[in-house]
Amino acid sequence: MKIIKSLLAGASIALVASITQAATSGNTLASVDPEADRLALQSFFQKRFPQVPVDDYVNGIYALDSGSRAQWEEIEEFPPYEFDVEEGEVLFNTPFANGKSYADCFANEGVGIRQNFPRWDDSQGKIVTLESAINQCREANGEKKLGWKKGKIAQISAYMAYTSRGNVFDVKIPNDGAKAAYLDGKQSFYTRRGQLNMSCANCHVAGSNVLIRADLPGPALGHVTHFPVFRSKWGNLGTLQRRYAGCQSNVRGVSQKAQGEKLSNLEFFQTYMSNGLEVNGPGARK
Amino acid sequence: MNKTISLVAALMMVSGSVAAQTFDEAFNAQRGMNGKGHSFTFEGQSYTTDHPEEVAAAAPANVANATNLLADAKAQYAKALEVDFGWTLTKGLLASADKALQAGEFRKSMELSARAQYHSRMGVAQYHQSQQEWLMAVPN
Repeated sequence: MKIIKSLLAGASIALVASITQAATSGNTLASVDPEADRLALQSFFQKRFPQVPVDDYVNGIYALDSGSRAQWEEIEEFPPYEFDVEEGEVLFNTPFANGKSYADCFANEGVGIRQNFPRWDDSQGKIVTLESAINQCREANGEKKLGWKKGKIAQISAYMAYTSRGNVFDVKIPNDGAKAAYLDGKQSFYTRRGQLNMSCANCHVAGSNVLIRADLPGPALGHVTHFPVFRSKWGNLGTLQRRYAGCQSNVRGVSQKAQGEKLSNLEFFQTYMSNGLEVNGPGARK
Repeated sequence: MNKTISLVAALMMVSGSVAAQTFDEAFNAQRGMNGKGHSFTFEGQSYTTDHPEEVAAAAPANVANATNLLADAKAQYAKALEVDFGWTLTKGLLASADKALQAGEFRKSMELSARAQYHSRMGVAQYHQSQQEWLMAVPN
């Protein structure tokens, strides 16, 4: 009888759980609730790591693992991205052939605006990331586009992030077009890909701070705040979408196109999840 | 007592906890336990644990079969890419299969094509499965 009662209780819980999920999760334009998603993700991490203040998630895995944090703090004494920020500033301030510069393309002359990207652009009908805005600025002024993942575009982005440090992410979802992009990014984040059949969430929600061989994946909350990053593995600076491509390849899936619709929507979703957290890019990572 | 057991059974059926094993589940279990080349029975019928691609690759090794199998594998890879669920090793497998075909190594080519085709079929299956399941991973 005890077994039957346990079975009854288990079955009831399973039933209630499935109903609760159906009631609160959104997978359609009508039912998706970005703010509920953001709060649910925060709540997940607060329950899992109750000792970690929400604001500290901008530091990624270093908010969760004290050993890694001690190493990182020593690295930050001589930040490996420092020269890239300086070079980024030079590039940012160097006029184009037509005499204009990046400052002419952005609000507040491009200073302290990282927290507003990615953003939905109605006229283009798509998400515009900071890196795509940099290249759009170049093209509008008769210059060639830069490569998307590293090098000059990462340096300029790093400088712009640096001028935005301490500002709070405030990505907006102004209309259904933006909401559709958000929903697409959300689906991408939770969708398993590649021969290893893994999603972003496998490592960075359930698997955050759990060893994968010798690595501890960082938490999804605060994931985007410190990009672009200087990764020790790369030995140089790279953009968030460079990292996305690497992750997809790591699970043995064909990488999606950098700055294509899918990865930009993913970046939009992830950045919305970090709304309310401070910009602290560029960062240093393993 | 009987009423309680009936209630448990009814609840479990509603929640989906108890379901008849599908053919795919039976196949995967048998394949996982016994590898390829094993026979098993499902709902009174006899089957083997070979993937369709492995069956195709077991055909006589000749230029026609190797050429056809490579073409099938490339077509299946295109389908996986179309839904954006290609796997990284597939392109290399196809290139190696092509190289083996050119070298007259038909058996090797057919085995490589079969692996590439299997990867691509699984990529497409993964795409369809993910459409149904991704939401279950979202914290709420």
